[in-house]
Amino acid sequence: MRVLVVEDERKLAEVLASALQHESHEVVVAPTGARGFERASTEPFDLIVLDLMLPGCSGLEILQHLRQRQNDTPVLILTARDGVDDRVLGLDLGADDYLVKPFALPELLARVRALLRRGRPSTALRLKTADLELDVVTRRASRGTRALDLTVREFELLEYLLRHQGDLVSREMLAREVWKEPRRATPLDNVIDVQMARLRRKVDADAGERLIHTIRGVGFVLREGEP
Amino acid sequence: MIPRWSAASIRVQLTGRYAVVLCLMLAAYAVATFVAVRHEFFEQLDEQLLEEAETAEGLLRPTAEGRVAPAADRHHDGDGDEDRGYDVWSSDDRLLYRSGADFALPPAPARPSSPSLRYESVDAAGHAVRVLTRTATVGGHPVALRVFRSEDRLRVQLGEVLSVLVLGFPLVIVVAGVAGYVLARRALAPIDHLSSEARRITAERLHQRLSVPNQRDEIGRLAAVINDAFARLDASFGQLRRFTADASHELRTPLAVIRSIGEAGLGETRTPAEYKQAMGSMLEEVDRLTGLVDTLLRLSYGDAGTVRLAREAVNLGQLTREVAASLSVLAEERNQRFELAAPDVVIDADRLVLREAMMNVLDNAIRYSPPSSTIVIHVGAETGQAAVTVTDEGPGIAPEYRDRIFDRFFRLDEARSRDSGGTGLGLAIAKWAVEIHGGRLSVAAGVHGGSVFRIAVPMHAISSAGARPL
Repeated sequence: MRVLVVEDERKLAEVLASALQHESHEVVVAPTGARGFERASTEPFDLIVLDLMLPGCSGLEILQHLRQRQNDTPVLILTARDGVDDRVLGLDLGADDYLVKPFALPELLARVRALLRRGRPSTALRLKTADLELDVVTRRASRGTRALDLTVREFELLEYLLRHQGDLVSREMLAREVWKEPRRATPLDNVIDVQMARLRRKVDADAGERLIHTIRGVGFVLREGEP
Repeated sequence: MIPRWSAASIRVQLTGRYAVVLCLMLAAYAVATFVAVRHEFFEQLDEQLLEEAETAEGLLRPTAEGRVAPAADRHHDGDGDEDRGYDVWSSDDRLLYRSGADFALPPAPARPSSPSLRYESVDAAGHAVRVLTRTATVGGHPVALRVFRSEDRLRVQLGEVLSVLVLGFPLVIVVAGVAGYVLARRALAPIDHLSSEARRITAERLHQRLSVPNQRDEIGRLAAVINDAFARLDASFGQLRRFTADASHELRTPLAVIRSIGEAGLGETRTPAEYKQAMGSMLEEVDRLTGLVDTLLRLSYGDAGTVRLAREAVNLGQLTREVAASLSVLAEERNQRFELAAPDVVIDADRLVLREAMMNVLDNAIRYSPPSSTIVIHVGAETGQAAVTVTDEGPGIAPEYRDRIFDRFFRLDEARSRDSGGTGLGLAIAKWAVEIHGGRLSVAAGVHGGSVFRIAVPMHAISSAGARPL
């Protein structure tokens, strides 16, 4: 997949490019709005990651011009402003998603995957990793032969981890997706840690292999083997 | 014209206005005086004419030639004959007698029929002459007796009166203006004093106050008002200073940690596991910084009044139960118990903003309550207002801190709350979130020790709260 990254901050652009390349995408970086618009309107891309605050030409203008030219490449907006109006404006002008800086890289990758219709969280009703199984319909989970006694919240948390198995999941993503809290830095961060610790006790205790891993400073990942 | 006035000092303005009012009053007074004096002069003149007419009538006798003449002119003093005189006319307009000044009066006097007296001012070849015409009978014949006097002297006198009035006018205005200016300056001197005193009180000397010589007079009240403003300014400067100091501490600490971890990590070669460890701890600090910056920005949007609420019907009871359920794991970790009485109360509010307030208040209660204690959460509604109270069994808050705990970064227990991950902004955010709903967040002492936090919000949006639905 070809991804265009329009970002003037060189370090950030490099990190984004290398992370996206790591996910096997072909990445083109445009350091200015004008260059970005030029590339976007002359070459085919599967996704555009667009910074809103660019020298010379704002990201919103680029987006507007692209959409006026019937270019409907998915656009993920990056913004340092989290005023509601900016978001609404961006989404109104045809952005497909947005992230507020400073964002967590795993979250950006998750959004990119979702926008590329790849790695979309499965809608399967039975989820499985190693000997961990979860049935969305009967709301039962088991590890090997042992049934797990989960609270409603623990079940939702495990379901989310299973649907994103193998991917890093940040506290922010969990707060928004599982607890439906769009704001960062709320008392929920502590709640998430406690819930995760409890879930891990239930899932990984008495089991040979640990499945839920904490990546310090980043978040959590559910996968077989070392993270 | 108002801008030009407003550029001048109050002293000059007062003097100017005073002078204008005085001018108008003086002008009215002068006109009235002149009119009265003129009327009085003419009345005197007319009286003299009448007297002379009566004297002449008494003296006149018919002569042999069919004319008339005074019988004996012994009363006639001859003085002023050049500006007065009289004549007598027969009923067929023949001049029968003339004495004194010979003005170029019209030859035939208009014969007054009724009333038998007539006063008039006549212009006789450049002379204004006052004329009294009356009917009389001399020797059985009806005649017209005409007495006249020049108005010249009267007009000269009137002119003198007028010139006194006109010439005195500017003099009085100047004197009054100067006096007014001096008076205004004296009256306004305390204000000048006040302003030079106030000027000395700057941001560095905000604790100083203006001296108030007399509390009761206008100046005293003004000084008291200014002192009040200084006190409030002093308080907010103090708050700002504390906030700046606290914010720099809170922001610099994680930066210092990140920096030293980075420097230490690069100092010597380490194992990949150690590098991962170092980066993880840097990221934790970044998380803390991100949280701080987000919260501070949200508070500053709140300060700037740019936050708009997305109001909808919110069941406060249900929201409370949800928040309690979310945070119950934190309480369970500390063996604390919730006692929840949250009936359904539907209010008009921004669900997410209100939830944040409740979450922070409840989180605060959990944080500061001892293990194995009970936290009582109660939802109630009374006239137009819904309230959530959170009662804890913590150590309570000393009265002097009850207002300050909502200040940004204010902490009762420095070490403990920082270690437990609090930003010191939770209650500040909660207070903002409640107040933007037009509500009030307060804290009081509990009956059995501990604290009672009370979130009170109007059930329906108050339009003046400045928050419009999105």
